[in-house]
This record gives sequence, C-alpha cells and structure tokens, in this order.
Amino acid sequence: MAFKQNRSPLRVLADLSLFLCILLAPVCSATPATAPATLLQVKSGLTDPEGVLSGWSPETDVCSWHGITCLPGEVGIVTGLNLSGYGLSGVIPPAIGELISIESIDLSSNSLTGPIPAELGMLENLRTLLLFSNSLTGTVPPELGLLKNLEVLRIGDNRLHGEIPPHLGNCTELETLGLAYCELNGTIPAELGNLRRLQRLALDNNTLTGGIPDQLTGCASLRVLSVSDNMLQGNLPSFIGSFSNLQSLNLANNQFSGGIPAEIGNLSSLTYLSMLGNSLTGAIPEELNRLGQLQILDLSMNNISGKLSISTAQLKNLKYLVLSDNLLDGEIPQDLCAGDSSSLENLFLSGNNLGGGIEPLLNCSALQSIDVSNNSFTGAIPPSIDRLSGLINLGLHNNSFTDVLPPQIGNLSNLEILSLFHNGLTGEIPREIGRLQKLKLLFLYENQMSGAIPDELTNCTSLEQVDFFGNHFHGPIPERFGNLKNLAVLQLRQNDLSGPIPESLGECRSLQALALADNRLTGTLPESFGQLAELSVVTLYNNSFEGPLPESLFQLKNLTVINFSHNRFSGSLIPLLGSSSLTVLALTNNSFSGVIPAAVARSRNMVRLQLGGNRLAGAIPAELGNLTSLNMLDLSFNNLSGDIPAELSSCVQLTHLKLDGNNLTGSVPSWLGELRSLGELDLSSNTLTGGIPADLGNCSGLLKLSLGDNHLSGSIPPEIGRLTSLNVLNLNKNSLTGAIPPALRQCNKLYELRLSENALEGPIPPELGQLSELQVILDLSRNRLSGEIPASLGDLVKLERLNLSSNRLDGEIPSSLRQLTSLHLLNLSDNLLSGEVPAGLSSSFPAASFTGNDELCGDPLPQCSPSSTRRLPRTEVAVIVAGIAVVSAAVCVALMYTMLRVWSNWRAVSVSSSDGEESAHGGRDNKWGAAGAGDGKYWKVGSPVSSRAAEEKHSSGSETSVLHGKLTEASGAAKS
Amino acid sequence: MAARRAVALVALLALAAAAPARASNDEGDALYALRQRLKDPNGVLQSWDPTLVNPCTWFHVTCNQASRVERLDLGNSNISGSLGPELGRLVNLKYLELYRNNFDGEIPKELGKLKNLISLDLYANKLTGSIPKSLSKLSSLRFMRLNNNKLTGSIPRELAKLSNLKVIDLSNNDLCGTIPVDGPFSTFPLRSANTALLFSFENNSRLNGPELQGLVAYDSGC
Repeated sequence: MAFKQNRSPLRVLADLSLFLCILLAPVCSATPATAPATLLQVKSGLTDPEGVLSGWSPETDVCSWHGITCLPGEVGIVTGLNLSGYGLSGVIPPAIGELISIESIDLSSNSLTGPIPAELGMLENLRTLLLFSNSLTGTVPPELGLLKNLEVLRIGDNRLHGEIPPHLGNCTELETLGLAYCELNGTIPAELGNLRRLQRLALDNNTLTGGIPDQLTGCASLRVLSVSDNMLQGNLPSFIGSFSNLQSLNLANNQFSGGIPAEIGNLSSLTYLSMLGNSLTGAIPEELNRLGQLQILDLSMNNISGKLSISTAQLKNLKYLVLSDNLLDGEIPQDLCAGDSSSLENLFLSGNNLGGGIEPLLNCSALQSIDVSNNSFTGAIPPSIDRLSGLINLGLHNNSFTDVLPPQIGNLSNLEILSLFHNGLTGEIPREIGRLQKLKLLFLYENQMSGAIPDELTNCTSLEQVDFFGNHFHGPIPERFGNLKNLAVLQLRQNDLSGPIPESLGECRSLQALALADNRLTGTLPESFGQLAELSVVTLYNNSFEGPLPESLFQLKNLTVINFSHNRFSGSLIPLLGSSSLTVLALTNNSFSGVIPAAVARSRNMVRLQLGGNRLAGAIPAELGNLTSLNMLDLSFNNLSGDIPAELSSCVQLTHLKLDGNNLTGSVPSWLGELRSLGELDLSSNTLTGGIPADLGNCSGLLKLSLGDNHLSGSIPPEIGRLTSLNVLNLNKNSLTGAIPPALRQCNKLYELRLSENALEGPIPPELGQLSELQVILDLSRNRLSGEIPASLGDLVKLERLNLSSNRLDGEIPSSLRQLTSLHLLNLSDNLLSGEVPAGLSSSFPAASFTGNDELCGDPLPQCSPSSTRRLPRTEVAVIVAGIAVVSAAVCVALMYTMLRVWSNWRAVSVSSSDGEESAHGGRDNKWGAAGAGDGKYWKVGSPVSSRAAEEKHSSGSETSVLHGKLTEASGAAKS
Repeated sequence: MAARRAVALVALLALAAAAPARASNDEGDALYALRQRLKDPNGVLQSWDPTLVNPCTWFHVTCNQASRVERLDLGNSNISGSLGPELGRLVNLKYLELYRNNFDGEIPKELGKLKNLISLDLYANKLTGSIPKSLSKLSSLRFMRLNNNKLTGSIPRELAKLSNLKVIDLSNNDLCGTIPVDGPFSTFPLRSANTALLFSFENNSRLNGPELQGLVAYDSGC
C-alpha cells in the first residue's frame, strides 16, 4: 500500500533515471552495489508461500541468492532473476527497474497481481522478460518498446487489457513475442512488421479485431504465427505464403472469410495448420497437398465446399486430418491413402455432405480414429475393416449405412469406441463382438437391428456405455450382464425385449443410468437392485413389470430420476423414497396403493411428481408444500380424499396441477390464483363444492382449466374472462347458476368451451360470437338458457361442433348459422325453437339436430303447414286436435282459458304421437354428452367423416347402420 | 501457451464419445427442432423441454391416448421464423394451428406427410413461395386456411384430390392462374348455396377465376 502512495514521484524519478541511463549507460551499468538493495525491495513486495526467498538477506552474497544469476567472474553483477513457478503473489515493484545490469527476468507462472511496471523499460540490457501466467492487470506498458536488446517477451496469460502498443515494433531484436490469453483489444499493430528477427508471434485468445496487417510480411523469420480465438476478420492475405520458415500457423476461431489462399501451399516447412472455426468458403486448394511436412491439418467448422481433395500420397507426414463441419460433398477419394505410406492416424470428416462408401479408408493403415458421422455415407460397413488393426475409435453414426455389422469387427482388438447409431443397419449383433476386450462405448441406437443380444457381449468387460435404443432386439437381457462391472450407462429402450431383468444386473455396481423403457419386460424387480449404489436415473416405463418393489431399493440414495410409468407395479411407494435427491418421480398408470408417503417431500428439488392412475388413497400430504421447485404435480385418477391442502400454495412454480378423478372434497381453493406459472389446472371429476373462486382470474398463463364433474355452485365469475391465454375451459356437470358472463369474450384463444349440464340461465351472450378461434366444440347443452340463439354465433367460422340442446331457447334459428362453414355436428334439439329450419342448415344436418322443438318445421323436419302462422302454431294445433270449430275471435278469447288447461293436460300425448315416426327418439337422454354416445346423429349430412366417426363410436350399433343409410341418401339429395 | 494450441483438436477427438444416449421420441425431437428455428419473444415455447419422455406435457401440444401428438396450437403467439421439414414427422397430427403469427419462408412440402391432418391453419402469417403440391396427399384434410399470407404461384391442380375438403381459404395472397374446377372445387363459385362449403380466393390480384378447361391454361397470368 505504501508503494502505491509513492508511485507517482517514483515514476517521475524512474523516468528521469531512465533518461540519465540512456545518456550515461556505461556509468549506470557500473553500479552493481545497488542490486541487493533493489532485490530486497522486490522481495518485500512479494508473498512467498514456499519460502524460496528466505535466503535473500543482506548478510549473504547476492549471487548466492536463490534464483539469482550473476555475471561470471565479476562480483555482484546480477544478470538473471528466475523465480518462476513458486506461487509468489503480490505486485512487481517499480524498483525492479533499477536492476540495470539484468539480462533475464523470469517471474512466470506465479500469482502476481498489479500492473507491469513501466520501469522495466529502463533495463536496456534485458534480453528475456517472462511474466506469463500470472494475474497481472493494466495495459502493456509502451515503455517496453525501449528494450532494444529484448529477444524474448512473453507476458501472456494475464489479465492485461488495452491495445498492443505499436512501440513494441521498436524492439527489433525480438524473436519471441507472446501476448496470448489476455484481454487485449484493438488491431494487430502494423509496426510489428518491423520485427525482422521475429520467429514466434502468439496473440491467441484476446479480443483483437481487424485483419492481419500487410506490414506483417516484414516478419520474414516467422516460424510460429498463432492468432487463434480473436475476432479477426477479412480475407486471409496471400502473403502468408511468403513466410518460408513458417512451421505452425494457427488462425482458428476468428471471423476470417473468403477462400484459403493457394499460396499456403508454399509453406514447405509447415507442420501445423489450423483454420478451424472461421467463415472460410471455397474449395480446399490442391496446393495444400504440397505441404510434405504437415502433421496436423484442421479446417473444421468453416463453410468449405467442393470435393475432399486431400491425398496423403504427398502429405506423407499427415497424422491429423480434421475437416468436420463444412460443406464438403462427393465421396472420399480413392487416393486419400494411396500406397502404404500413409501416416494418417486421425480422420475427422463429420458434419459434411459426403456420400458413397468408406472403402477408400481401408488403405489408411495407420488409422486410429475415424469420425465420419453426420454425413450421407451409404453401403455396408466393409468386412475388411479389420485391416485397420490400430483402430481405437470408430464413429459412423448419423449416416445411411445399411446391411449387417460384419463379424470381422471382432478383430479390431484395440477398439474402444464403436458408435454406429442412427443408420440403417440390420441383422444381429455378431457374437464376435465379445472379443473386444477394450471396448468402452457401444452405441447402436436408432438402427433396424434385430435378433437377441448375444451372451458374448458380457465378455466385453471394459464396457462403460451401452446404448441399443430404438432397434428390434428381442429375447431376454443376457443373464450374465453382471459381468460388466464398469458399466455406467445401459440403455435398451424401445426394443422388443422380454423376460425379466436378470438378477445379476445388481452386480453392475458402476451403473448410473438404466433405461429399459418401452419393451415387453416382465416380472418383478430383482432384490439385487439395492446394490446399485451409483444409480441415478432409472426408466422402466411402458413394460409389464409387476408386483411390489423390493425393499432394498430404499438403499439407493443417489437416485434422481425414476420413471416407472405404465407398468403393473403394486404395493407401497416407500422403497422408492430412500433418496432425497429425486427430481422426477413418475409412476403414472400402475397399481401402487397405500397413502402417498410424506417422505416424498424429502426431495426438495423435485420438479415432476406424477402419481396419476394408481390406487393411492388417503389425503394429499400437506408436506408436498415443501416441494417449492415442483413444476408438475399429477395425482389424478386415484382414490385420494379430503381437501386440497392449503400448503400446496407454496408450490409457486407449478405449471401443471392435475388432481382430477379422485374423491377430493371441500372447495376450489382461492390461493390457486397465486400460482402464476400455472398452465394446466384440472380438478375435474371430484366432489368439490362451493363456488369458482374469482382469484383464478389471476392465473394469466392458464391454457387449460377443467373443473367439470364436481358439485360446484354459484355463478361463473366474470374474472374468468381475464384468462386471455385460455385454450380449453371445461365447467360442465356442476350446479352452476346465473348467467354466462359476457366477459368470456376476452378469452379469445379458446378453442374448446364446455359449460353443459349446469343450471345456467339467461340468454346466450352474443359476445360468444367473438370467440373466433372456437374450434373443437361450443357446448352449452343441458342448462336453462333462454332467449334466442344470438345471430353472432354465425361468426364462429372455425367451429366444428355446436351443442345448444336441452335448454329453453326460443325464437327462430338465425340464418347466420349457415355461415358456420366448418360445422359438422349441430345439436339444437329439445329447445323451444320455432319457425322454419333455415335453408342450408336443413340440407346439411339430419332431423336429429332439430327434434324436440315443437314449433320447428321444414326440411329435415315435417313440412311447415302452409296455413299456419309461425307465431301461433301451438294454439292452432290445439284447436284442430280438440275438434272445436273456431268461428269468431270473441269465442276464441272466451274459450282460451279453458282450452289452455285442457291442452296442457294432453300436450304430451299430442307431441309424442306427432313425433311417433321419428325412430331415433328414444336416445334423447344420452344424445351428446361427454361420453359421446350417439354423436353420429348430429353429424353434418354428406360429411364423409360423419359415417366414419359414427362407426368408430359404435362399430356394431344398429343405429349407426340406419344413420349411415340415411346420410348417404341425404348426401345424394344434397348434391343433386 | 503453446501447450494450449491443441485444445480445439482434443475437443474434436472427444466427439465420438460425446454423443449422449439420445432422447426418445421422434415427435418430441421434431417439435424441438421446430423450436430451434423460431423466435419466441413471448416465451410460449418455454415449457418445451427436450429431455422429457414425450412432448405431451409441453404447453400448446396435445397428445392422444397413445401419447402421440394430435394438436399443435400456437395461434396468436407472436412467433417468427420459418417452418421446417421436421413438421412432417408429426404423423399423428390432426390440428396444425399456427395462425396469426409472423412465420415466414415457405410452406414445407413435408407437410404432405401428415395423413391424419384435419385442419391446416396457417392464415395471417408472412409465408411466401407457392402452395406445395404435396398438400394434395393430406387425405383427411377438411380445413385449409392459408389466407392472408404472401403466397405466390398457381393453385396446384392436385388439390382437387382432397375429397374431404370443406373449407379452403386462400384469400389475400398473391396467387396467380386459375382456380381448379374439379373435385371439391366443383362447388365454385365462392360460397355455394350449400353453405357447408367455403371456398375463398378473394384478393389475389393475379388470379383469373375458375379454370375453363381446354380454353385457358391453369397457370395463365403466372
């Protein structure tokens, strides 16, 4: 700290002495006596955890101090300071600038902080300055440009920022300039082109911009040019080809564009060339084949197109060829490895558009790694692949290879990785695979392979990951799978495997992920499972496992994901609750019984808890309220009883809450309105009572709200209209009263609206006509709705089903309903509608859509009587049937009271006799409920789906066949 | 520093081993691939977690009893981006509701693989290009609403094969040529007396009215 306060005066002093030194260089260098004092000052600024500076004391000869080198033969002339890699921290004191005779400073690989002192610029004898791999901050001091004798400057891997000072171009003796892994920005200074002796220039991992300056061509001695991981851009200059000594060129991970200059082929000494991760285009220049010394060529992750024009016939030293993630097309050239002289060990071509076969690779006899994944290769895996006896990694995945996996694969005794997934391979796994003693990874997933999994696979004892997902393997899981002691991942999902899980699987003590889902596996889980202490993910869904779970499972403390859905497991859940790290517990559709143990709530990070479709009973444990990360809580279709616990209000992250199909009682809690992430809320088919809380209107993200089939009463709160994202609203089968709130019009994303089987009254709000996306159904049937059908319903042009039956709707059917062009199911039956069925509707829908409206007439109902007036048909009929001749209006009025009494007594008789010819009358009770029985009756006439849908519902019902005939007839009529 | 040079290369070496056991279901993968190409400022696709067993708990996705995707409801969601071939993998899809968004690009021809599709609602977007002929393979299709886009080209004759078609709304595009007169199109003019059908072609300034077979080439004016 004291140092900091003195900094400014010191700096002035230093600058002054620098000036003096330049004038009086011989004098300055002749003052060695100051060196020990200066070095002790340096020491005082440093923290020295290893005590390497403990011997530095005024009592001893400075030349004997650790890390100090002196001029041989002279007394006390310090020429070298090397304290690299001693864990030193603290700052470099500016006093270091007083070590005027020093030629080499190495403080690299420590934990030094603070800036690089500008005073270093005074050390005119300095040839080597190594400060790399510290935590130095500030900028690169321009004063370093004063170091005329400097040959090596390596100050990278620090936290330096700012620009590269152009002054460095004055250090004309520089051979090595290392500024990589800092936070330098700006451009590469053109002045660096003055450094004619420069051999190594490393500027990697900064944020440099601009291009490679033309002046750099002056660095004619360059051997290593490395500027990777910057933001350099523009075309690659062709003068790069003039660096005749260049051995290593690394331009990776910049934004260079344009083509690869053919002149790079002139770099005859080049051993390393990387341009990966740029935006280079065009073809690979043929000239690259002239790089006879090249060992590593990496052009991956560019937009290079054209053919793969590389031949190791000339690139005799090439070991790594990396061209992945480009736009190369065509085939692998036959001469890629012509002759037997290829050195190619690693070939990476993944992510191109290459096709054809891989036979040309069989000549590359030195190959150890092949990755040709993510291309369009075809044909078989050549049986002679075993010529590549050194092969360790073989990646052929995501191609279109066909045919079988050849048995010769078993000869590749060094093979560790065999990745063949997502191809069109067929046939069985060859038994010879068991010879691959080094095989660690075997990915065969997403192929068309079949047969049994060979027992020999269990000889591959190095196996760590096995994935056969999405094939057609059948038969049992080999009994001896327990041999695979190193197995960490076993994925056999989506095959046709049958039989039980072998007891020996419990011996795979390294197993972390076990996925056996989507098979036909049976039996109970083996007791040995309890030994799989590493097991984290276990998915067994969609099988036929059964029985209670072994209690030993409780020992598995590392489980995070359990999905046993769609099996026949029974008994208690407790064995699954040994872990408190569960994030997913999915047991949907089993036969688990007992209560939901409160221990479920020990896994505080639970995200999904799905216990739907079991036989769980008792109350919902209040402890579930501790699961504050829970997204999905599905307890639907169990025998749960009691109230919805208030503690669940803490589960504020819930997106899905499904408690439907239980025996839950009490009310719909108003705190549900606080669950702002809720997208689906399904409480239907319980025995909930009370009203619908207005607070639900706060769940603004709600997409599906289903409260149907409960005992809810009161009116529909208008706040429901605030659920503007709602797609599905189902409140049917309750005891709701009052009017349908016009505010529902704001739910304009609704595609399904069901309010049927309640006691709703009043008119149908015309605003419902604004729900322009209503599509699946608008069901208001079985209520007490009155008034006329609003003409606006004709605006629901996407609506496919409209059910207004069994209400008290009167007036005429609005002709606007003809605009319901998407409608194919219409039920207006059992209302008080009158007048003539509008043309258009009459030709489109069967009589059943309109029956039960005494005063409705016209096709497809019986003809309207020509003499009848639409207003008084009921009186008219009554008069005729009673046989009373009406002579005068006065008599009529006088008789009215008596007549009405008579009429009301025999009305039922009259109606039933007039409807007698309608055969479908008896089905009235179940015409269009949620159960769907009898739906076909209201299908649109002539709709091809009408008959099909009806068949789906009642494949052998007599009603269907009647309907079928009727529809065919009607449709013929409509067409004519 | 020099030692770090090979880092990128080492990463590549690991590639073959890095591919993890892939998630299950093709439909989920297809939907996730779709998500990848979309901009979703309102976050309506936030729940689309590709690591789940199937997409049935994703919002705006509805599955049937067999856990196959039956509806995709992304209407009015302020989504932009293009539709991709991956949609063709949702082979159980009945309702594709992508209306009133900012989808651009062309209608993927792969939609023709959706044999169960009943409703194709792409209206009110910014779709360009022509109506793919492959849509004629949508044998279950009843509702095709492509109106209010920027579609060009002629109406493919092949659409006349869609015998179940009840609604076709191609209005407010930039289509050209003539309107087919076969199959379901035979009920032209626009709104037939049998109100069951809606065939709308309005506001396509280069569309020339019904095809007069043998007299006017169907692509006249294109």
